[in-house]
Amino acid sequence: MRILLVEDEPTLNRQLDMALQHAGYSVDVSVNGRDAWALGDAEPFDAVVLDLGLPQMDGLTVLKRWRAAGRGMPVLILTARDNWHEKVAGIDAGADDYLTKPFHTEELLARLRGLIRRASGLSSPLLVCGPVELDTRTGRVTLDGQAIALTSHEFKVLAYLMHHPGAVVSRTELTEHIYAQDSDRDSNTIEVFVGRLRKKLPAALIETVRGLGYRLVAPP
Amino acid sequence: MIGRWWTGLRGSLQWRLLLVTLLSMALALLLTGITLFNLFSGHVQRQFQADLEVQLEQLTARLEFDASGQPVVDATQLSDPRWLKPLSGRYWQVDAYPRTANDAPDTRNVAGVLRSRSLWDEVLDLPPDVVADGATHLHEIGGPSGRPLLAVERTVRPPAPHSSAWTLVVAADASETQGAIRRFARVLAATLAVLLGLLGLASVAQVWVGLSPLRALRQAVSALDQGHEARLRGRFPAEIQPLADGLNRALQRQEEGLARARTQAGNLAHALKTPLAVLRHSADAASQPDQPLALQQVGQQIHEQVAKAQQHMDWHLRRARSAAHAAGMQRPRCALLPTLHGLQRVMDKVYAHRQLRLSVASDAADPWVPVEQEDLHDMLGNLIDNACKWAQRCVHIQVDQDGHVRVEDDGPGVPEAQRSLMCQRGQRLDQHTPGSGLGLAIVAELAELYGAQLSFGASPLGGLSAQLRWNARPR
Repeated sequence: MRILLVEDEPTLNRQLDMALQHAGYSVDVSVNGRDAWALGDAEPFDAVVLDLGLPQMDGLTVLKRWRAAGRGMPVLILTARDNWHEKVAGIDAGADDYLTKPFHTEELLARLRGLIRRASGLSSPLLVCGPVELDTRTGRVTLDGQAIALTSHEFKVLAYLMHHPGAVVSRTELTEHIYAQDSDRDSNTIEVFVGRLRKKLPAALIETVRGLGYRLVAPP
Repeated sequence: MIGRWWTGLRGSLQWRLLLVTLLSMALALLLTGITLFNLFSGHVQRQFQADLEVQLEQLTARLEFDASGQPVVDATQLSDPRWLKPLSGRYWQVDAYPRTANDAPDTRNVAGVLRSRSLWDEVLDLPPDVVADGATHLHEIGGPSGRPLLAVERTVRPPAPHSSAWTLVVAADASETQGAIRRFARVLAATLAVLLGLLGLASVAQVWVGLSPLRALRQAVSALDQGHEARLRGRFPAEIQPLADGLNRALQRQEEGLARARTQAGNLAHALKTPLAVLRHSADAASQPDQPLALQQVGQQIHEQVAKAQQHMDWHLRRARSAAHAAGMQRPRCALLPTLHGLQRVMDKVYAHRQLRLSVASDAADPWVPVEQEDLHDMLGNLIDNACKWAQRCVHIQVDQDGHVRVEDDGPGVPEAQRSLMCQRGQRLDQHTPGSGLGLAIVAELAELYGAQLSFGASPLGGLSAQLRWNARPR
């Protein structure tokens, strides 16, 4: 799952970046409105954390432009405490949820999980595919109730596939949602991660659709 | 009584102007009256005297002397019949001159040697006087039956060889002139009184017209005071316009100052917001269970202090904001329904995953409430958010005819005994629902600042009912 974090205060930006990465997300950061708008317009993010007070272009304008351009990813806005005026303006501009500053890291992660899940049409925080379960709250993956140890990249691939059960996901799409923009991208590594996942989980779970990509199917 | 009257007079420009005008007009009319009266009565006196002198001439013309030098008047030759009628008010008399007894050459009766028949048996008693030949003198004397008379006299000498001299007197009842003068005085007084009345009415009209711009000014100030206007509206006369302009400029400066103070308070809060967020996340990281115990404790302390700093900041920010409109001339007003619908959109989106049904109904078409826009958002936002957090299925917002708002939910509700605790700062009846527990305390605080009433009860939906009643006349 790939997140765009837009926050102009460097320390808070770093803290949130680390917390999000720690929670298993690929994170792109932006410190001003203009860059944030360009990034969000060009890259497929699974969610955006957007501060409203930004240099160069304010958060509301960025959000309105994304929505006008048809970008529909879930957006969580950060507002000043109890500024309901700003919350109304944010929601009217197309935000999906708000969080008032200062907030607990856990609260942010919980809201983000909810937003991403609902964007995929899922209602339970516990994602299930046959014998495999992924708890989005803890990041734990179990096979028949037994915990499975996954590397960070393996987890990201599995989490993305489990958020889109039954859908064909191309390698490019996986690459785009697993790597942040500035990291080394190699779509061949996706095959490596899928291969490793197939060894740790039932091999039939991830089906290769020739020429198109992968599909998660529950083994019979 | 007089003291109160005097205070009232001093306190009213209108009465002052009227009193001064009326007093000076009354004085002027009085002087005019006296002058006219004197002129007229002088004229009447002179006319009367001239009339008497004409009759004295006639009497002199009819005077003859017999051989012994005694005067003789042929009364039948005198034309005026009043000479003959007893006590008619017209008299003539011939005295020896000089009249005093010891000056007389003999002891004969010197006064009333000859008299008109109208005198009957009376004698005119004139004071001793020296009258040069050809001159006439006027006297005021007592006449028959005590009536005052005006008399003219002159001295004549018979031709030689007689050496004695005689005084001829013609007298008339003084009331003949008094009557005319009294009539004139009556008419004059009535005329002047009517004139005073008309002038008084004119000055009342003048004062009323002259002071009407002040009444307009008072209305404009009253509109300002009640918050209908932000500035003094209307054109005023050249004497008052600078006053209105000056007041408007002062209002403008005050508003700018308030806006600046507000912006600065807001800037401060905004500038502190992010550092506090940073501190909180550092504290979050330090409080993780895998950190050393001492670090966890420090993290905990930072948490507590950040929360306190945050509360102080919020509180003072709200104070600054509310103080700004308490001091502002224009009373805050805000349309209620657009605000509610905006909040409804927020709740619909944020609580979409819980399938909450949020409904708004209003008895009034377009209610306005006496609260600043931002504060209204904060009050209603917190109330509705609170209701949404606890609701099972639905939240209903009812606006009544006067714009009072009731927010109801179908949640578990709050026992009556605990309802009074809900608004206290940091008080949370359930520690498991997210939120800092400050929401309702903020609503209560804002309600108090605006003189609105926040009350809680049981809702027919099954949960809590929170009601906000606005103060019709805000402070």
